[in-house]
Parts: sequence; C-alpha cells; structure tokens
Amino acid sequence: MEQKTGGLWEWLVPGALLVCAGWAVWHTPAYILDFIPPENQSLQDQMSELHKRKDVTPGLGGVFGGYADFLDWLALVLIPILFAIGVRTVNVAHMEFQNYRSIDRIALFFGRITMIMIISMTGVMLYEVFLRYALERPTLWANELTLWIAGFVFLLSGLYAMQQRCHIRIFLFYDMVPRWAQRLFDSVWAALLVVFAFFLVFGSFQQVFVIKFYKWEMFGTAFDPPIPATVQPAVLIVVVLVAIQAVLNLIADWNLEPEVHTAADDFDEDELEAIKRSVGAD
Amino acid sequence: MDVGTISIVLVLGLIILLAIGMPLGFASAVLALLVMVMKFEPGLLLNPLSFGEGLLTGRPGTGPLYILTQKIFDLLTEYVLISVPLFIFMAALLERSGIAKEMYSSLDYWLSRVRGGIAIVTSLMAVIMAAMSGIIGGEVVLLGLIALPQMLRLGYNQNLAIGTICASGSLGTMIPPSIVLIIYGLITETSIKALFTGAFVPGFMLASFIILYIVIRTQMNPDHAPLPDPKPGDPTGLQKLGLFGAFLSILLAGVSALLLLRAAYFTVTGQNQNIDESVDPIFLGMQQHLPYLAGYLLAGLALAFLVFGRERVRVGWEHGKGLVPPFTVIGVVLGSIYGGISGITEAAGMGAFAVFMIALFRGEASIGLVWDSLMRTLRSTGTIIWVTVGAAALSGAYTLAGGPRYIADLIVGAEMPTMLVLLTMMLILLFMGAFMDWVGIVLLIIPVFLPIVRAMPIEEIGIIGQLEPRFVAVWFGVLFCMNMQVSFLSPPFGPAAFYLKSVAPPHISLTDIFRGFLPFIGVQLVALAVLLIWPSIVTLLL
Repeated sequence: MEQKTGGLWEWLVPGALLVCAGWAVWHTPAYILDFIPPENQSLQDQMSELHKRKDVTPGLGGVFGGYADFLDWLALVLIPILFAIGVRTVNVAHMEFQNYRSIDRIALFFGRITMIMIISMTGVMLYEVFLRYALERPTLWANELTLWIAGFVFLLSGLYAMQQRCHIRIFLFYDMVPRWAQRLFDSVWAALLVVFAFFLVFGSFQQVFVIKFYKWEMFGTAFDPPIPATVQPAVLIVVVLVAIQAVLNLIADWNLEPEVHTAADDFDEDELEAIKRSVGAD
Repeated sequence: MDVGTISIVLVLGLIILLAIGMPLGFASAVLALLVMVMKFEPGLLLNPLSFGEGLLTGRPGTGPLYILTQKIFDLLTEYVLISVPLFIFMAALLERSGIAKEMYSSLDYWLSRVRGGIAIVTSLMAVIMAAMSGIIGGEVVLLGLIALPQMLRLGYNQNLAIGTICASGSLGTMIPPSIVLIIYGLITETSIKALFTGAFVPGFMLASFIILYIVIRTQMNPDHAPLPDPKPGDPTGLQKLGLFGAFLSILLAGVSALLLLRAAYFTVTGQNQNIDESVDPIFLGMQQHLPYLAGYLLAGLALAFLVFGRERVRVGWEHGKGLVPPFTVIGVVLGSIYGGISGITEAAGMGAFAVFMIALFRGEASIGLVWDSLMRTLRSTGTIIWVTVGAAALSGAYTLAGGPRYIADLIVGAEMPTMLVLLTMMLILLFMGAFMDWVGIVLLIIPVFLPIVRAMPIEEIGIIGQLEPRFVAVWFGVLFCMNMQVSFLSPPFGPAAFYLKSVAPPHISLTDIFRGFLPFIGVQLVALAVLLIWPSIVTLLL
C-alpha cells in the first residue's frame, strides 16, 4: 500500500497536541494544587503564588472549586483524545521501517510530534534572530523556549530511532554468528537496557519527581521556564519507554531472517530517490 | 574497587557489548551504571541479594545514581547541541533541492577545457558543499550521481574518478561548519568557534593537496582525463576569462550593494551609533564604511558595463548564476558565525532558512519537501544525540571514579617519547575508524586521549613551530578530524566506499572502489603528517 505522507492532517494533529501539551505543562502548578496539594501550608502558599504569577489567563476563575480554569481542563481532556487520534492515524512513510506492528504506532506518533517540535524550535529561533538583529528588540523568552523544546526533541528522537532500529550499532561480529546466537545477543542487551532503566529510575525518582517536579523547579531566569521540572522527569520516562521499545523490538524481530549490514544502510531507497530527483538523474 | 580494575572491566565490557551488537549509546549507558556499581557498591555484583544495603542502593530515589540523570540533563540543556539537528535539517533540505546540480553545471562550464576539468570541478564542488553543511554521506552520494556518470562517459580513468569523488566528498567533516567538531567541542569543552577557525587552514590544505594531485596526475597521464570534444561556437579559454571577469564584477557590485543597504539600514535606525569602547564595531556596518561600499558598487558596475560590456555580462551571468546560491548559504552560515552576528546555533538555523528560501525561489520548496527533511532530521538526530547521551553518562561516571587522571598518569609515567605516543594514538584512531562510526570514536576515545595529550610536555609536540598550551585541545580536534578523513576511505569498512557503491554502476565492485582510494589515502596521510610535524598550523588564523 503506497500512501503519501506529510498531508495536512499529519501536521495538524501533532501540532494541536503540542499546543495543548504546552498549555497544560505551563499550567501544571494548577493541576498540582488541584490533584496533589502539598500538605505543608507554606508549600501550598508558594505553589499558589507561583500559579498566580504564571497563569496566562488570570481572569478566568477556576472551575470545580479548584485552581485549574476552563482552558486548563480543556487542554487536559484534549491531550489523550488527540494522542489517541494521532496514534490511530499515523501514516508510515516509505523511508521508515516497514515491518512495524500496531504497538509501534505510539513511538511513530511520538516521532511526528518531535518533527513538529523541530520546526517550531527553528521558527522560534529565527524569530528571535530577526527581532534581535534587525529590530534590536530581543525577547526574553525565545532562547529559553528553544532550549526547552530541544530537550524534548533530543529525548524523543531517541525513542523514534529505537523503533526505527537506526541506533548506531557495530555489526562486524554480529553478522557472522548464526541466527540463534543473534537472538541470544539481542536478548542480552535488551535485558541490560531494562536493568539500566530500572537503576536509573530507582536511583533518582525521589530527586526528580519530588524535588524537581513536585516543587516545580524553574530555570531561574526572567522568562523562567520550568526546564528542570519537566525535562528531568522526561529523561526517566523516555529511558523507560526506550527500554520497553527495545523489548518490543526483540519480540517483533524474533523471526526475522538474518541480513548483512553495511554502511550503505544509512541510505535507504527513498533517500536515494530524493537525491536522484534533485540532480535530475533517471 | 580501584580505578585500574574499573578501567580494565570497562574496556572489556565495551568490547563485549559492542560485539554483541548493542547500540553504542546504550552500551555506554549500561557501562556507566556498571562503573557506578563498582565504585560505590561492588558487593552488589557478587551478591545481588544485598540490593538495598549499600551506598548506591541504600536510599531509594536519591544517591550517587542521580548523578547519571543529572549528567544527561546537563547535556540536553546544552545550547550548542541544538545546532546538530539544525545543521542536519539544513543538509536534508539542501540534498533535496537542485542547488547542487546547478552549481555543478556552472563550474563545469568554466573548467570544461582544462585537463582533468571535471575531477577538479568535483573537488571544488565538494569543498563548497563542505562549507555549507557538515554531513558526509549525502555529499558522496550526490557527487557520485552527478559527476561519476559524466567522468566515465568522457573516458576518465575509473580509479581517478572514484577516488576524487570519495576523497573530496569526505571533506564535509573537515571544513567548517562540521558536526564532528561541534560534538568534539561539546565533549571536551573546547570553543567550537576556535575549532572551526583552526580547521580552516588544514581543511583547505587537504582540499588543495587533492586538487594538486589531480592536476599532476592528469598532466603526467593525459589519457586518464581526456578532454571533451570542443563544441562549435564555444568560447575559447581567453574569452571565458573575459566572461568570468564580467561575472565577478557583477558579483562584486551585488555584494557591495547588499552590504551598502545593510550599513545604510544600521545608520538609519541608529544601531551603529553610540557604540562605546566595550562593544565591537559592526563589521562593515559602520557609518564610515558607507562611502567605500558605494565606491565598490560603482566600480563593479563600471567594470561590468564599461569594460566588459553588456553582452559579456549577460553570458557570464547565465553560466555563473549557479554559483550564487551556494555562496549565499556559505555567506549566511559563516558570516553569522564570524561576523559576530550570532552563535553557531543561530547560524545553523539561519542556514536552514537560507536554503529553504533559495528552494522557494527556485520553485522547489513544498510542504512535502519540509516534511521529508524533518523526518530525515529526526532519524539522524536520534542516532547522533543518543550516543552522546550515553557517552555523557559514561564519562561522568568514569571521571567520578578518577579514570582520565589514572590513564594520563599511566601513559606519562611510562616515559615514552611524546611523538611515539601520538603516533600510537593515530594508529589506534585509524584502526577504530575502520569499524566504528566517528560519533562513537569522538565520544568514547577522545575523552581518554585528550587528557593524555594535555599531560604531555608541550615543547615535544611537533617538530616545527611551538604550540601554545591553550590551543592543544583545538589542535588535537583538528588532528582527529584529519584522522577521520583517512578512516572514511580506509578498507575494509570505509563508509565512503559503501556510499558510492550504492549509486555506482553495477560493474564497479567494492574492490575497484577501494583500489581507487589508495593514492588519495596517501594524500590524506601527507596532510596528517603536516599537522603532526607543524602543529601550530591550526593557530594561523586564531
């Protein structure tokens, strides 16, 4: 089945999800106050003070007797809906790994979100360059926003690369052994990756989820994005997702025939076609 | 456990994990964990049931393991790292636009009557593309598609054609901007701008060695590069020189007009006034530059229309305009970095924007083009960044265990002659380059090698000239890049050969390709030797 990817729908869904997620992340203090309020009164005060300072729509009152207003709730409800739609409708491009299963769609859709993040990050940066050098009115937020988005781009691109099996590996010895040994090797390294993910989470969940996330640690600048509070939890979550994806790959590839890898694998047919078109060769 | 044992286990572990095909980044991450366990709670390895009792696992949720998370977080919030996806994005857009093809036709027109012309054109084009972006692979494939069929059709020596394409196509990592140098700078905390500046002279030296080799070889064996039959009505060499002069004067007028507009804009908005001592004056953007720029503009126009004449200008422009887009991109990227306008990251973003705008003007830009390029960017970013993530964790853990210090002491204590140590390192790098990607080498081997180089007596490095201590890291980075040039070509796993194989006619085998490389590897080794013998060559522009 040949499907053209990159249609309008494929831009819209991840784009909309990104807007909702951005809104929700920015207003996380409201959710913290509503769902898991601190028992300590001074912490409660600090958090509501923070919420007041960061709320984009201070005019809107909280609904359901809490801090989160109508838009916050809307964003929170839309995120899973959009995510489900996105996962169901993701189109696998020709250049992507073809032997995918339905569970892989999650990683693929994360890839789509990341693509939208790359272009938005570039846009934000160019906007800042224009303001700073042409108009001499630099913003306070653009550089930090770029940095913030980039953190997620770096993390999520690894999950996508895992699903696409394009992480850098050395096949020299691997290609020489029989298939049963390859299965053994793959199982060993997937297991090691799971152990690593376990230890990483075990060794830092308190620091990350309680000290950084729950206290909503920010960057300490004028724009003050919550980079530590969001990126550090994302590190742990994505490492766990990558480990899960490694196990999924192991199951999916169990019955594959062995193949020999060379450096030319970096170029798939699609890439070659694109370059050939651009040079006008037949 | 002492650091010696840890180091040995680390090396063995790395070899085993890489041999079983574990992705590089994850292998480093797992070994980082292993180092932490050996350093803080070695008992856990012998008796896993003691989990929860030691220094490392005693306090769930916090403790030394958090250092790994912290190291990864620090890397992810490194501003310069953003330039990596942006440069990849730019290269992906570039590959999909017709800029390269047009540049080739343009260069080909000017040099078609020169012996070995197409080979020289190929090298020049590779250099220009290298100065636009810093990715190889795409470049070799592109040149293989454009130049190889033409050289073979004209009856060029096959080995010469193959070697030229791959040796020149690999220059992308050597001539700034280069992703290899960006990652090297990040991992060793060296100024990336200094690395770029330092790589300029050696990079162009290598390029000119390659071109020189082509010229000498084709002059000695004219049958290696037959000239195409002259078409009737083609201008002769002298006429072409006139046309090219006309083209250059138009270019001069255009560039000075742009700079004039820029300076005028700064003057009108008052940006270049009230600049005190502490701020650098805007390069070619101050009020006093206005008359000079206007003068150049007039001189260019006068040359074009009075000296060369309207007809020459038209023909010259017709055949030269293919060179304008690439030089615009180079101007935007390198101009942003060196004109003091912005940092590496912004320069990469501006480059991507410039390529997109050019594609838009050429009518090639589309939503689909951007989507495809984004997908390509995503793939490459994931693979490069996660090796970096794993290596950041590993080097954090290993440094905590005192590793780099230990190794440096070990080598320095052995009292080997400095140059011998350096040569050994080069051999190891060449050997590793044969089967490991450059990302792996820069992240796993450089953090070990650089402290050794830093600990060596500086006056013993090189034979001619004296390297300043603060430039040792820059020099070693450039040296490393030169090494990678060789490893791209070296049999049996040089990636350039495989890239070319995927687009070459089927009768050219891998063995043929590697045979074509041999003299070019020799050229690269000569350049490498120059860097080793005369290290201060990297500081010429610094």
